[in-house]
Amino acid sequence: MPRFFEGVAGLSLAVRVRTERLERRFGHLLAVAGVSFEVYEGEVFGLLGPNGAGKTTLVRMLSGVLAPTAGDASIDGVSVARRPELVKELIGYATQEASVYPFLTVRENLEFRAAMYLRGAAAGRAVADALSRFGLEEVAGRRAGVLSGGWRQRLSIAQAVVHGPRVAFLDEPTSGLDPLARRTVWELVYAEAERGMSAVVTTHYMDEAERCHRVGLIHRGRLVAVGEPRELKAAVAREYRFYALAGGDAAGWRGREGVVDAWRRGAALRIITRADAPAPPGAVREEPTMEDVFVLMTRKEEAGELE
Amino acid sequence: MSWNRILAIARKEALELRRDPVLLRVVLILPVAMLLLFGYAVNFNLKHIPTAVWDRANDRIARALLQELEKDGRFDVTFRVGDEAELRRLIDRQQARVGLVLPPGILQKVRAGEEVRLRALIDGSDPTFAFQAQVGLQKAVGRLNARLLAARMLAGESGLPPLALEPELLYNPEGSTAAFMVPGIVGIIITQIAVILTGLAIVREKETRMLESLIATPVRPGELVTGKVLPYLVIAFADTLLVLWVGHVVFDVPMRGSRALLLALVFLFVLGSLAVGIAISARSRTQIQAIFGTLVYYLPSIFLSGLFFPIEGMPRALQLVTYLIPLRYFLAAARGIMLRGVGLEALLAPFALLAAFVAAALALATLSFRKRLL
Repeated sequence: MPRFFEGVAGLSLAVRVRTERLERRFGHLLAVAGVSFEVYEGEVFGLLGPNGAGKTTLVRMLSGVLAPTAGDASIDGVSVARRPELVKELIGYATQEASVYPFLTVRENLEFRAAMYLRGAAAGRAVADALSRFGLEEVAGRRAGVLSGGWRQRLSIAQAVVHGPRVAFLDEPTSGLDPLARRTVWELVYAEAERGMSAVVTTHYMDEAERCHRVGLIHRGRLVAVGEPRELKAAVAREYRFYALAGGDAAGWRGREGVVDAWRRGAALRIITRADAPAPPGAVREEPTMEDVFVLMTRKEEAGELE
Repeated sequence: MSWNRILAIARKEALELRRDPVLLRVVLILPVAMLLLFGYAVNFNLKHIPTAVWDRANDRIARALLQELEKDGRFDVTFRVGDEAELRRLIDRQQARVGLVLPPGILQKVRAGEEVRLRALIDGSDPTFAFQAQVGLQKAVGRLNARLLAARMLAGESGLPPLALEPELLYNPEGSTAAFMVPGIVGIIITQIAVILTGLAIVREKETRMLESLIATPVRPGELVTGKVLPYLVIAFADTLLVLWVGHVVFDVPMRGSRALLLALVFLFVLGSLAVGIAISARSRTQIQAIFGTLVYYLPSIFLSGLFFPIEGMPRALQLVTYLIPLRYFLAAARGIMLRGVGLEALLAPFALLAAFVAAALALATLSFRKRLL
């Protein structure tokens, strides 16, 4: 049980997504290599990883549009490998590029998607509801093709959740958006999660991981670590120390005993050392960021692979 | 103008082309295929025209005439009938395209120096065909006349050519090209709208990645395909009615048979064509590929359906290929209904083969469409 729910007394949370050694090969390429994790009811779960890490492949398998080559996953207990069509009743999926029909209006796009799941008055209510929750009423009559990136992304997410799915898979919903638009997207995702929906959100923006209840770090198809952002940061903080140093030569520091990494950050240097190494003279102690977590944990994973 | 840049762009374009294997194949194969189609299909020397003969003379000259007809392989005397009604029925069903009536007592009349009139009933629904058939008949009669005149001259006599051909064009007595072309144009329009528009329908969603969102919903493949096809079905139908109406008003194209039967035929053909379009679309990755895919289907349809070039004029091997062209059956049936005014009983073969094509195309379309990526 993740810690963020601990405050909710006596509530036993349902597992909405369970993946078990899920794997996908494309010829020789192992795109997703035996990934296992759970996502709980009402949770915003981040899949963090660089481009090409296998995030989209993973999400496609969980949405039932791509068959796994080994392992399985279930949505509310329904297997994606054996019953993909039933899974599609339970989920919503927003693909990487905001998929909207440019010649249809915002409302028509939503109506179209709602009609795939609902009929009659229920569909109408769902559309009206989504327009209001996502603040799309003012652009409801506009063609989707003329919307700016932020609005289009908003519509794309609204489409994915218009029918009230148990789980929404949002593939890079903030990619290419400005900071304000990104913040709006996350606020909308959280509003949906508060209504009981689980969200699996992929991103390659390291700072965005902090916005998730829990994150899974993906690197070369492997799930390197899973946990709450502060747990993960605490874990690296036990093994490493993080410093800022005014000026200096990054390459020179990299070779030193006990120094794990060093790079230029503006006018200053950022230096990571092992926890048992002495602090660089004149350096100021800092907290680890999600980027540090990602870099250090993937390195460890790679070193483990070599062994 | 910088040649440096121009060449860089040309090089990039060529590289892209080379790395699109489908497009490359099409670029290489299409011209050769077109040449072969044109070269062989556009052949106006009709051969083996199925011919029915009502031979009331049954004498030496009648036999000589039939030999002349079959001599260069132009006509095949496939039917011998006992009255004119049967002759016409065979032509109605297109089992025979030409019917020849040989009057009684040809030999006596020739001996008596009288002129013998030979009536020839020719399927006139295709003006090209009708012209060719007339020329062929005239040649055969002319050769026989020459022989008969030569024999007379040897006997020291002289006179006019004894045999005279009286061709009679059925169905389209004015030899109107419009009457012949309108059913064909309906077929082309249906093929174009149905195959090309639906050919793009699914691949367009694939290219814009909308298909991925769509297949992540509970929509069933049959629902998706049917929903995509419905608007085009309506468009193709509306266009068909428009062309038929304009053909009737402007070109006086006759509508001799049952309208209901024609609409049933159109429906069948539209359905099959839409299915072909969906199958092409589901198997293409880009819209360009889909367009070329539809061309590969569309061009042979035009050349090998008997639309412009009579099938009887094609080499045997190519004639066999025409059996794979659904437009051929549509044309045969549409011309039958509109120009010859025949009913379903005379068109069972084209209707049955068209239905078989529709069934195959629908099966192919459904199999081609998957609700999974890869």
